[in-house]
Amino acid sequence: MKKWLKVFFPTAALLIMAISAQAAEHPRVIRFAYPAATNPDYAGSPLVNVINNQNLFEKEFAKDGIKIEQSFIKTAGPGTNEGLAAGLFDFADYGDFAIVLGKAGGLKNRLILSPSKGGNVYILARASLHINSVKDLRGKKVSYWKGTVLQTQALRVLEANGLTEKDIRQINLNGADALAALAAGTIDAVVGSYDRPLVDQGLATLVYDTRNFPVSKRYREGLVVSEDFAQKYPDITKRVAKVFIQAAYWASQEKNKEQLIQLLVKTGAKYKYAKGEIGVGNLSQKDQFDPRPDHENTNDYKGLIDFSLKNKLIRTNIDVDKWVDKSYADAALKELGLQNYWAK
Amino acid sequence: MSKIKYTVLLLGILFVTNADVHAANSPVTAPKVATTETESVSAEPSKDEAPLDAEDGDRVVTQKELQGLNSEVATLRDQLTRQLDRNIANSLRSLTIGGTLQERYTAVTSSDYPYTSNGFSVAAAILSFNGALKKDYDEGKNLTYSLSFLASAPTYNVQPYEAWLQYSIFQSLDTEKPTLYLQFGQISKPFGLEAQVGEDKKPAANTATFAGPGGFNLAARDIGIKLRGDLFPHFDPAYNYRVPFIEYSAALINGSGPNASDSNKSKDVVARIAFNAPVDYSSDFRGLTFGNSLYSGKKALLSNGAIISGGQGGASTTRFGQDLSYVSSPIGFTAEYAVGKDEALVSGTNVANAITATTQSRGYTFTLFYEWGEQFLTQARLQNVYDDWWPKTYQPFIRFDHWDPNTAVAGNETSILTYGFNLFFAQTTKLQLNYNVSVGKTPNLPNNNTNTFVAQFQYGF
Repeated sequence: MKKWLKVFFPTAALLIMAISAQAAEHPRVIRFAYPAATNPDYAGSPLVNVINNQNLFEKEFAKDGIKIEQSFIKTAGPGTNEGLAAGLFDFADYGDFAIVLGKAGGLKNRLILSPSKGGNVYILARASLHINSVKDLRGKKVSYWKGTVLQTQALRVLEANGLTEKDIRQINLNGADALAALAAGTIDAVVGSYDRPLVDQGLATLVYDTRNFPVSKRYREGLVVSEDFAQKYPDITKRVAKVFIQAAYWASQEKNKEQLIQLLVKTGAKYKYAKGEIGVGNLSQKDQFDPRPDHENTNDYKGLIDFSLKNKLIRTNIDVDKWVDKSYADAALKELGLQNYWAK
Repeated sequence: MSKIKYTVLLLGILFVTNADVHAANSPVTAPKVATTETESVSAEPSKDEAPLDAEDGDRVVTQKELQGLNSEVATLRDQLTRQLDRNIANSLRSLTIGGTLQERYTAVTSSDYPYTSNGFSVAAAILSFNGALKKDYDEGKNLTYSLSFLASAPTYNVQPYEAWLQYSIFQSLDTEKPTLYLQFGQISKPFGLEAQVGEDKKPAANTATFAGPGGFNLAARDIGIKLRGDLFPHFDPAYNYRVPFIEYSAALINGSGPNASDSNKSKDVVARIAFNAPVDYSSDFRGLTFGNSLYSGKKALLSNGAIISGGQGGASTTRFGQDLSYVSSPIGFTAEYAVGKDEALVSGTNVANAITATTQSRGYTFTLFYEWGEQFLTQARLQNVYDDWWPKTYQPFIRFDHWDPNTAVAGNETSILTYGFNLFFAQTTKLQLNYNVSVGKTPNLPNNNTNTFVAQFQYGF
């Protein structure tokens, strides 16, 4: 009996230690947050919808018993930053300006991927005003949602046309309220995303869009991971990067364009407008979904931060070279054999 | 033409006609999505239905398919119009109907004195109607209204609770500019915290004694006019977080309580000024507020409950309060102190021979709480979820409540220590568990030590 006890307890202790060590390697759940699309089952991000459509998270993590939680935030960047600050999310995929605002505001995270770039904005004006160019917006009431990519994009377009925010009367309305105000005639123009029902109804005209704007000045999507999570689970972080790169590889291929557009339509967008968002203008589909956090990505973020500081949108500078962590993307690209796929 | 040719011609005509009819009667279907071979690293097919077919995607829609689609849309429109006419309530202006119910179980677990009964009660039932009479998309100078009715224990009489019109004098759309509102009707008194704050600063089921009917009755509504606004707002766009450095509010009211005309010629004045830490969302000082409140009014001089001759408005009433709060999820505390002076008749039958005395009362409360969950994260909790989802939040707290009805008399105060736990488990729904340890002092008599358990289920719609 005593011999048996001498064997049992050390064995049991070793077993418990092994199980605990194994459990520490993996979290029980990985929590993601993204701005929501119009339809509640979909995110605003095309790659996230590809991931969910192809069950890529489940395929990667189900075998380890890791649960995936996804939150689709109606309040976009501000809501995502609030959740990150409260420790509710491990990863977030959202617009570059909101990411910069969060980082400048003290969020401890790392920027590990750029799921897509070349995001577009569209300036609509009331049809009755006959506004034909951005320069005609001088003195007009122009709405864009502050704290989102629409703000920086609006300011960049104004700057490119010799105007500043002081040359217009800025109105801060979110998407739905802005369109209602434009239809009601109480504002003159709206800076918004690609879906344009008021144009179809004859109430607004398209004044300008950024599809041929310099790509470096159009908005990017960014994937951030909280510092805590990245330090505790570097392998899981790499595997998350791998999933996003798998989705980017699929989305970057011309032969999948129609399926990608159909996914955009499912988020609530009209087909004819969704079609105009994939691989058009001066950006190819392949480059649009180049997820590498490379020097081009770093330079674009540096440009955005400089622009934000100059326009007093943020007060704190960010060391982008320290903030961007390429290690996860590099490891994932190597594992997938895609190191040279997006190389120029 | 031979008989065979006629037969073939007839069969051909029949075939073509049947095909057209079949096409017209068939439901309109979306173009099929055919599979395309991809080099996706995912070996399994997509969870979508039929994948895209390149040829179908290029097919031209026929006139008959379009007519079929128009017919479907027209049918849906007619169905919706009938429903709007018969089954859906209408209003003349924008309207949101809401309500709050508080259902409570109270049990005295120990007491030094006999007590009446334990049992269930409906602590409050409120039905409200809110909306905008005019919505200004240009500057947000909106005209809004609120009308609500309240029934509460023990009488359960249904009475108007709030009934006001509000106009935004300053613009309200630009988060970086100050605001100013004018409110008119039956309104809340802008005094301190306990009388007017929401559940983010008041976790306990019971209002603090000094603010309730047993004290200064600050939580009761009154009829009048109120100006409230703020100055020097600080805005952090990363979190859509707005905090004004100064908040102010001033009201002119009857002073007779809810649903009552003024009982004298004077109007009561209530005012509050509060200073908030004008910092970013990520600052440790976010949520820190210091406030000062003042109430000055007139009451009647009473002798055995009856107004003496000329005694309307003959007695002065003043209150002064200070409050300090720090609410920065997940942790928070509130502390409030109020002192009041009430003039009352000592002797006399009319104003000319009346002798009065002033009684000073004092109350204070301190609450400390902590929460796990997203209940008070105003941006992050707004999520697109297909089913009925709401994050759970757990909030333990402790509160100390002290009331002295006459500071000139020793040994007549009441202290209540409350241990509480709140569970927020559905949108606008919470379960509150409070354990109140009360010590009531009466001069020359033993203390009344009473412990009470309160379970309250509050839900709104």
